[in-house]
Amino acid sequence: MNEPDKIILPGNGMPQPIKQSEEFQNLKGQLLKDIRRSAYVYRVDCGGCNGCEIEIFAAITPIFDAERFGIKVVASPRHADILLFTGAVTRAMRMPAIRSYEAAPDPKICVSYGACGCGGGIFHDLYCVWGGSDKIVPIDVYIPGCPPTPAATIYGFAMALGLLGQKLKASSHIQGESERVVMRHPGVPVELRVLIEREARRMAGYRMGADIADDFLGILGTKSSEGLEARIQEYLAKESDPRLTEIVTNLCEISTKAIAAN
Amino acid sequence: MSAITETKVGQHYIDALRQRFPSSVLEEEWQTKDQVTVTVKVNSLPEVVEWLYYNQGGWISVLFGNDERSIHGNFAVYYVLSMEGGVKSFVVVRAEVDARTGEFPSVTPKVPACGWGEREIRDMYGLKPVGLPDERRLVLPDDWPDNLHPLRKDTMDYRVRPEPTSNVENYKFVNDACGETREIPLGPLHITSDEPGHFRLFVDGEDIVDADYRMFYVHRGMEKVAETRMGYDEVTFLADRVCGICGFAHSVAYASSVENALGIIVPERAQVIRSIMLEVERMHSHLLNLGLACHFVGFDTGFMQFFRVREKAMTLAELLTGARKTYGINLIGGVRRDIQKFEQMQTIKLCAELRAEVTGLVEMLLETPNLAQRTSGIGRLDPEIARNFSPVGPNIRASGFARDTRSDHAYCGFKNYSMPVRTKDGCDVLSRVLIRAEEFFDSIDYIMYALADMPGGPLLVEGHVYKPHKFALGFVEAPRGEDIHWSMLGDNQKLFRWRARASTYANWPPLRYMLRGNTVSDAPLIVASIDPCYSCTDRVTMIDIRKGKSTTVPYKEIERYGRERKNSPLK
Amino acid sequence: MLKLFKTILKTGEATLKYPFAPMPISPGFRGKPEYKPEQCIACGACAIACPSNALSMSANVEAGEHTWQLFLGNCIFCGRCEEVCPTKAIVLSQEFELAVGNKNDLFQNATFKIANCTCCEKPFAPQKEIEYTADLLKQTGMSAEAVEACRDQLQTCADCKRKQSMRATDKVELTGFMQKGNEA
Repeated sequence: MNEPDKIILPGNGMPQPIKQSEEFQNLKGQLLKDIRRSAYVYRVDCGGCNGCEIEIFAAITPIFDAERFGIKVVASPRHADILLFTGAVTRAMRMPAIRSYEAAPDPKICVSYGACGCGGGIFHDLYCVWGGSDKIVPIDVYIPGCPPTPAATIYGFAMALGLLGQKLKASSHIQGESERVVMRHPGVPVELRVLIEREARRMAGYRMGADIADDFLGILGTKSSEGLEARIQEYLAKESDPRLTEIVTNLCEISTKAIAAN
Repeated sequence: MSAITETKVGQHYIDALRQRFPSSVLEEEWQTKDQVTVTVKVNSLPEVVEWLYYNQGGWISVLFGNDERSIHGNFAVYYVLSMEGGVKSFVVVRAEVDARTGEFPSVTPKVPACGWGEREIRDMYGLKPVGLPDERRLVLPDDWPDNLHPLRKDTMDYRVRPEPTSNVENYKFVNDACGETREIPLGPLHITSDEPGHFRLFVDGEDIVDADYRMFYVHRGMEKVAETRMGYDEVTFLADRVCGICGFAHSVAYASSVENALGIIVPERAQVIRSIMLEVERMHSHLLNLGLACHFVGFDTGFMQFFRVREKAMTLAELLTGARKTYGINLIGGVRRDIQKFEQMQTIKLCAELRAEVTGLVEMLLETPNLAQRTSGIGRLDPEIARNFSPVGPNIRASGFARDTRSDHAYCGFKNYSMPVRTKDGCDVLSRVLIRAEEFFDSIDYIMYALADMPGGPLLVEGHVYKPHKFALGFVEAPRGEDIHWSMLGDNQKLFRWRARASTYANWPPLRYMLRGNTVSDAPLIVASIDPCYSCTDRVTMIDIRKGKSTTVPYKEIERYGRERKNSPLK
Repeated sequence: MLKLFKTILKTGEATLKYPFAPMPISPGFRGKPEYKPEQCIACGACAIACPSNALSMSANVEAGEHTWQLFLGNCIFCGRCEEVCPTKAIVLSQEFELAVGNKNDLFQNATFKIANCTCCEKPFAPQKEIEYTADLLKQTGMSAEAVEACRDQLQTCADCKRKQSMRATDKVELTGFMQKGNEA
């Protein structure tokens, strides 16, 4: 039973996370070794949109089957080795989340799930959001994603259990002495490049449009404008996609006009 | 798209209104050809809304407040009615509320569907709906200070986090049970120390007499951040995350509210892509619900199979948008991702697989021996109650009302496609399950049709000029029902006001009536049948009014009882 | 029941082999943003477009430095940064294995030099941004010499430019909008 005055109240508008003692940290190492074979996970919903909840569901269903690794979702924090915090910690969920944390027996591993858990995500500075699970409890593993795919979830758990290594590392770059931007499509006049890229984005979106514009500018960028028509036809025939043909036809019109104007 | 030259749809409602209440109507302004906002004198608000609601076939879609003091010195309240009589259109009843008194007459005594909206206006603006029976907070958490109203323009920065006023939940639960009932105070720091009672079931033995529930644990403050930190295009990504299951519907509703306000004509191809993705979202959501329905009747193998097949719908989403959920393809004026040859072919293949597999699974589900017994006649939403509360989606279609935004107020690709409206008369859980199964196949039909005949042209129009204080509605039929958004543009490249009403918001109020008369073991199934955005219900408290006893049990325990029907947690 | 068993049998080995085999991903899947600092001109467009403020810029004016930072924890993987970047310095990859034990590993930053205005010597813009502008001008057909000649102009701040145009009155047509016949 927890008395109200033992729960740490937020001060100056931000909560103070619960601190862990030294021996607690050592016990956790021991826990990791013990639970490698079977880890009981309890999900603490700190007020998320439920996208993360559904992806966790998906992770335990047959296609991804997290239970292969002994990961089992349990119904009560009292049985949990791992606490999984989803959601950006809304005001209303702060106390329930802390109570779940207190109810789970020590030592336990806490995992921050999703962008909301890691730092509050898109909600990080809203008035009813404290901004990330590490604002209220000490966190051992962070799993970014919005929501993290079931594969990312399995990777995160495998990493938390020490089965897989961490891939991401902090990085810092200082501008080098002669660092300069490499120009894209140097053979094409800038105004034409911009017109082509804009039209491609208008027709196919930012990613596909960028790829199509790159292909097209690549074909254009070769020195001679003779045989341009033939090279474009060859490209379109190879792809044989009516939508691509429609888009490239537009791009051809633009480049023809631009070349003629010069 | 000029509202002046096109025929106005719904003009006769306004003419009839002016005749019926000659001295009440102050102004009439058209946002699109079928959206009109009438400003009425504040004291005639209840009569006008009631008349439009019950006499003219209107349903309350959403109601909200707006701090318009910087525009004309007063607040304003808006009551959005979806008119579904002979002519389908939107009529918004607006009234200005004096900034000094903050009072306006409550419409709830005449139209029960307004209850939640008025409580929210009180929370967010501090306005007083005079005569509103329910005095409790709706949206703001219990530990939020009194007299601090977030959506007022001058109260607080969107980042301010006030000191909690308490560590104790103090929401008062009410019930309508007849006879003697005892108020049993249940402190939230119960010995089993877990979440507080989100659901309170008032029981007599095993029978539910009434229910009350505390929602909005997920209130984050999104409407305020959309007015402050974010520009128009970023709010589409915020809207994606209103709900992790029907987020894209919110994104389309928001984008179309701004597009309607400005008269932006979204390119045909973009509209069709939006519709395709809306149906893909419906598919994954309905499969989720069908899987949960299996789970709650104890058919866990069915649950696993439905989720296995649902993965195909998720892969389809990833293929078409780049992400399994939170599609993020909407911008104001269109979409930012195309459907080309590879995507088209893969979609056709996946849809064929989905159709084949789900047909088999649904057959199996319906042949499950105890399904009819567990779901037929259970969780009845009486048509009269439905008419009073304006619920949406499969929930209301199962009670015989043909309410579906795709056909009532067609938008995007559905303007040129007759979407079948699936209704049933059973009013029970079984009807809702059947409707969702039928709608799944309707979605596949639509996707195949749309892909076969995709219009060419661009995906996006840009370079909009945002006119301050223009406003309009945007609406979409999400898997759970109508999602409706209202946007008023600001004068600083940001929104002035954004109201996002999720479909489940309209479905919660009648839930207590659906629970009455059923047994405790049916409760999880009934709640799941309205397909709530998977609520944070971790605890259910049952108060036995006759024995004067209360028991708090974990939700999972009720679920287990619902499946196994043995070892009641009440004993 | 029999139908159910048949379905289960037919489904066979539905489980994906991941993580023991690579995870099948759709093309265009939006994973981790890959940042190439060499291509970055520190313009800040990505930070403005980012809906969740995962990307941010901060200037240290005394040190003459402008720092770009990505906090992967808040990233919502929407791809707006890729959409607005003028030099393709940031592009979303298919990387999804992003879990870390230490929160600091979710931070990535890059520091760039700020160039001072050639006229008033106050900090003006990232040096790489100015050089990129010069390179763009060369791509419009201007010769390298011509671009060099206006190099100082490229590195002049807006305030100084305003003052300069006021001083160079002999280059300004003051009577341009007056009607014919009224020339003194």
